[in-house]
Amino acid sequence: MRLVGAELLEAREILPGQWLQTYHAPALATGSRAGQFVHVRTGDLSGLVLPRPFSINTADPASGTITIHFRTVGRGTQWFTHLRTGDTIDMLGPLGRPFEVDARSQHLLLIAGGLGMAGVRSLADEAIRGGRQVTLLFGAASARDVYPTSLLPDEIEYVVATDDGSMGHHGFVTELVPAYEAWADQAFACGPEPMLKALAGLAVTRRGRLGVAKLGRKRGAGKGDQVGSPAARRKAFLQVSMEQRMGCAVGACLGCVVMGTSGTPLRVCREGPVFASEEIEWEGNWGR
Amino acid sequence: MKAKRRVATATGPLPSTRRTPTVRKLKSAIVPARSKPAPYRPAGAGSVSASAMPDAAGESALAVDLSVDIGRGLVLPNPILVASGTFGYGIEYGEVVDVNRLGGICCKGTTLRPRIGNPTPRVTETPGGMLNSIGLQNPGVDAVVEKYSALWAAWRVPVIVNVAGESVGDYVEVVRRLDGMPGIAGIELNISCPNVGRGGLQFAIDAEAAAGVTAAVRRATDLPLLVKLSPNVADVRPIARAIADAGADALTAINTLSGIAVGPTRERPLLGNIYGGLSGPAIRPVALRIVYEVCQVVDIPVIAIGGVTELADVLDFLAVGAVAVQVGTAIFADPTLPVRLVDELEAACQTRGLTSYRSLIGTALPKRTGSPSSKGVEYRP
Repeated sequence: MRLVGAELLEAREILPGQWLQTYHAPALATGSRAGQFVHVRTGDLSGLVLPRPFSINTADPASGTITIHFRTVGRGTQWFTHLRTGDTIDMLGPLGRPFEVDARSQHLLLIAGGLGMAGVRSLADEAIRGGRQVTLLFGAASARDVYPTSLLPDEIEYVVATDDGSMGHHGFVTELVPAYEAWADQAFACGPEPMLKALAGLAVTRRGRLGVAKLGRKRGAGKGDQVGSPAARRKAFLQVSMEQRMGCAVGACLGCVVMGTSGTPLRVCREGPVFASEEIEWEGNWGR
Repeated sequence: MKAKRRVATATGPLPSTRRTPTVRKLKSAIVPARSKPAPYRPAGAGSVSASAMPDAAGESALAVDLSVDIGRGLVLPNPILVASGTFGYGIEYGEVVDVNRLGGICCKGTTLRPRIGNPTPRVTETPGGMLNSIGLQNPGVDAVVEKYSALWAAWRVPVIVNVAGESVGDYVEVVRRLDGMPGIAGIELNISCPNVGRGGLQFAIDAEAAAGVTAAVRRATDLPLLVKLSPNVADVRPIARAIADAGADALTAINTLSGIAVGPTRERPLLGNIYGGLSGPAIRPVALRIVYEVCQVVDIPVIAIGGVTELADVLDFLAVGAVAVQVGTAIFADPTLPVRLVDELEAACQTRGLTSYRSLIGTALPKRTGSPSSKGVEYRP
C-alpha cells in the first residue's frame, strides 16, 4: 500500500454514463494483482470528504498505467469526469486481497454484472498471460450497457445476457452459468449482490448436479483455512468480489463489512474485496 | 496584546473564582515536558531577537516546543492526535503514516466483550461530512491488549485507549484490565453510549451520570483519564464541569452529532442502524462553539476534535482554548494530513518567532480583566 500521485492520461465515455480513465501510476501498475483496488480522493474536500474506491480495471506494467472504470452515480464520480488530461490525483493502493487462481485451474469462468466488469476485467488479462482459457459471462440491463468487445482481449470467449433481450441471452447472466459449470475449473464473479448470492447457491449445488462430488480434486475452503487467507480463496470454486460503502479502505474504520459464515463481520477492504463464496453469509438480513 | 495579557494573568496570583481558572490551569497543563520553561514570547511583539527569526535555509530554524502535558504524566510530543475510530489500532495505514511522528493515537472504541457492531450500510457521505454507525465493533478489551499492547509499548507515540460500555461496571472493568498493561498511555472515555441500567439514556447527556462514570473510572485507575463530550445536549457546560470535578484529567470535544440519511428508494433511512454520527468539516463550527464554551468553565485541558482538515482549523481550535486537536474524518481523504499538520504548526510558530505554540492558545477567549464576567459566555442559539 502506497499513496501515489497518478496523472490522468486519457478519459473516455465508453458507454452512456460509464467512463474509462487511464492513469500513469507505475507503482500501482507493477505492484497490484487482479481483484485489488485503489482509494482515490477527490479534490473537493470541503464537500466530498470520502475518497472513492475503484477496482483496478486493468494494469499495464510496461507503460506504468492503470485504468479505472466507473459509472457517474453521484457528485463524487461526477467530479472525476471533470478531470482533464495531465491532472494528478492521489491514489492509495493497491488495497485489498486479490483473486487467487489455483495452479491446476486451466479453464476460468468469469461472471460480471454491469459495473462488476471492472472487478474481474484484470483477471482476464492475468489468466491469459498465464496461458489459461477464459470465458467471460456478462450481464447488463440492455444492449446499450454492454461492455464493448474492443476493450477485451481477443483470446477470451465473451457471452452476453441482457435483461430485456436486446442482445445475447434474454435473461439474467446467472442463467448462462450451468452451461459452463462442467467446463470451468474455477469461477470468479463481481456484480450486484443478488447475482453473487445466486452464483453462490449454484456453486454449493454444483458438485451434485455434475456428479463429480468424489473425484479426488478437493475444492472448497477447508476448515483449517483462515478466513481471508489466500488458501481459502485458492481452494474455492467460486470467488466473489464484494462491494460495500467504504470509509478508510485500510481496515481502520470498520465501515465496509459483510457478515461472514464464521459469525464475525469481514472487512471488504481488508479481508476482501475478494472472498471465497463459502466465507460469506448469504442468508439472513444482516445489513440488507 | 492578547497573548501579553494572558501571560500577565497566568503568572500572577491564582484566581480564586471558578470562572477564571482556565488560564491558570492552561498554563500548568502545557508546561513543556522535559526542557526548561521557555520564555513566553508575546505574539506580535515588536522586538524579536535575531536568533528567533525563521531561517530561510530551514536548517538551523528556531526549535519549537510542541509538547503538551495533559496531566498525570501524559506528555504528548505534539498537539496533533488521531481520533478514535478513524485510525484503527495504529497499524492499518502501514508505511503510509509514520505513527511515531504523531502527538497521540486514540484507538478504536474498546468494550469489555467483543461486539460485532451494527448492520450495514454503516457509513455514508453527507455534505461536508460523513455519517457512521459502526456500532462499536471491536474484539473486546482482552483481545486488544493481547494483540496490540506489546506493539504500542515499542512505539514512541502515546496510545490512548478509547473505552465504551453499557454500564458503569463495564467501563470500570475495561479500565481495570487496561491498567498496568504496557503501551497504554491513557484512557479516553466514550460516554455517548446508552446506559442500559438507566433506561438507555446516554451517560453524556446527563451531568450526574457522566460524573458518576468518570468518578468510578477515576477510582479504578491512575492512568491519565480523558472524557469525550457529546454535542447532543442543550448545554454542555454543566456536564463538562461535573466531569472535571469527578476527576477527569482532560476533556475531548466533540463526539459526533446524531443524524440520519435517507435511502435512495426513500423507503427507509439509509444506515442499517438508522441513526449515525456526523463528523467532518460540517461539524467544525459546532465543535468550535463547544470548545469555546467548555474552556471557559473548566480548569483542565481540552482537546478539540471536529472537522480539522488544515492548519487554519488547528489554529482556530487553539484560539478558542484547546491545548491539542484530534484529526478524524480527514484522515480518510489524506492519511498523511496529521503528520503534515505537525510540520505546518511548527513552521507557523517559526514564522511568528515562537519557541512554543502555547501562546496561540486561548487568544479568542473572552478577556479576563478584574472580576470574572459572564459576558459572551451565554449560549445564544
